Amino acid sequence: MKHYDLAVIGAGQGGLPAAHMAARLGANVALIEMDEVGGT
Amino acid sequence: MHLVQHRAAEFGVRGVDPQAVRMNLGAAVARKDTIVSGIHQGIYQALEYNQAITFIHGHAEFTSPHDLRVDGRQLQVEKVILAIGARPAPVPIDGLEQAGYLTNKEALRLTEVPASMIVIGGGYVGVEFAQMYARFGTQVTLLGRAPRLMRKEEPELSELLAEILRAEGITVHTGAEVLRAGRAVEGRFVEARVGDERQRFEAEVLLLAAGRTARLDGLGLEQAGVEPAGGYIQADEQLRTTAPNIWSLGDANGGLMFTHRATYDGPIAALNAVKDLGRSVDYRVVPRAVFTEPTLASVGLTEAEARARGHEVKVGVARFAHSGRAKAIGQTEGMIKLVARAGSGELLGGHILGPHADILIHEVVVAMYDRGTSQSLARSIHIHPTLSEVVKAAAKALR
Ligand SMILES: Cc1cc2nc3c(=O)[nH]c(=O)nc-3n(C[C@H](O)[C@H](O)[C@H](O)COP(=O)(O)OP(=O)(O)OC[C@H]3O[C@@H](n4cnc5c(N)ncnc54)[C@H](O)[C@@H]3O)c2cc1C
Repeated sequence: MKHYDLAVIGAGQGGLPAAHMAARLGANVALIEMDEVGGT
Repeated sequence: MHLVQHRAAEFGVRGVDPQAVRMNLGAAVARKDTIVSGIHQGIYQALEYNQAITFIHGHAEFTSPHDLRVDGRQLQVEKVILAIGARPAPVPIDGLEQAGYLTNKEALRLTEVPASMIVIGGGYVGVEFAQMYARFGTQVTLLGRAPRLMRKEEPELSELLAEILRAEGITVHTGAEVLRAGRAVEGRFVEARVGDERQRFEAEVLLLAAGRTARLDGLGLEQAGVEPAGGYIQADEQLRTTAPNIWSLGDANGGLMFTHRATYDGPIAALNAVKDLGRSVDYRVVPRAVFTEPTLASVGLTEAEARARGHEVKVGVARFAHSGRAKAIGQTEGMIKLVARAGSGELLGGHILGPHADILIHEVVVAMYDRGTSQSLARSIHIHPTLSEVVKAAAKALR
């Protein structure tokens, strides 16, 4: 099973900056999106 | 298109036959798609380039606070940030499903301009799409349930906006509660209570823009220990949910449902989740805009809200009709209203309906962020000839 420090659910307007900031802070991030990036 | 069709002659442009000007919606949608896919490509490239981020395409569902199922796959995670956004809220209108309707998504994919459209909802999505389609040539009826369009905005401005939309040929009904919908001989019908009367409207298509709600379905929130409230996720000032290892941001938390709020929340949620920094969000000064023409943009309290909170206030109003620049660009409709504390002049709110209101509002935003006063707007030198001079004029008019 894959293990991550942080999962961000949703690669929309808020999820993308959250994932990038978390990565910058050294976290191993899974960014999960069911539709298209960018949201709404 | 609107300018070319209706105002070419006024600006001295010859050779335009207003009757012949038509929207090629397919081409406009294709242009939009090109822009959007360029943006998507940039996003995917940045993600691919980032070694620390694994992008997974699929629907995520909690099976425990630390376990996610993404379609078939299982992931184990220490912490989670929910950035799940919102979707159109279900509305209790009899027969709506059978009638068939568009949401904002489908309404941006049409390739033919509908002859007529009923827009259900007088919030920003309803108002923006109503004007857009009316300008494309659709006969639009806008039904808003609240007594005013944009019901939380400064009443003078929202009423002026309704007048402007009506003058463009849009049928605007406020206080209109849609009760029933269905198929008509050609297209659809809706029945609404407008004031004390029951009225029937018919159009080729319906556009549902009656509010949004968090996308909680199928997320397995109970397994995660995340408690929603009123259709949204409950998060504290540090964006933490009721589950200690899960944070939530943006539209999913309700309140200020704007991109600039979600992008502001994002890094804060990450700092708190990853580094446990305990940063709080600061929503003291969050501006908002409705991208109609003229544009409506605002920040802070309306006059009535400020008074209801017990502030002694003064207000200043200035109209674009007196601005040389507004005359030159032919956009003289609209006004600015500023609200400030009576004594100190501290700015409490700014409300702009007019050309480039979405830009002009930032002068008030920055001033308010530093708890600035109307005096600094009134006394600082503004470039002539600009629309910003109207902001200054409103500040000088405060009393
Ligand atoms: C028609 C319209 C016009 C708008 N215009 C403006 C505007 O002009 N200015 C402005 O500031 N705001 C505007 N907004 C609002 C703005 O789009 C939102 O506030 C913003 O997108 C919120 O960001 P978010 O990250 O919270 O959610 P979103 O950007 O919606 O992202 C959420 C993402 O999560 C994904 N997701 C949800 N659940 C799951 C799951 N279980 N598994 C995997 N993925 C999931 C979704 O597919 C989506 O991509 C507009 C909204 C609409 C509908």
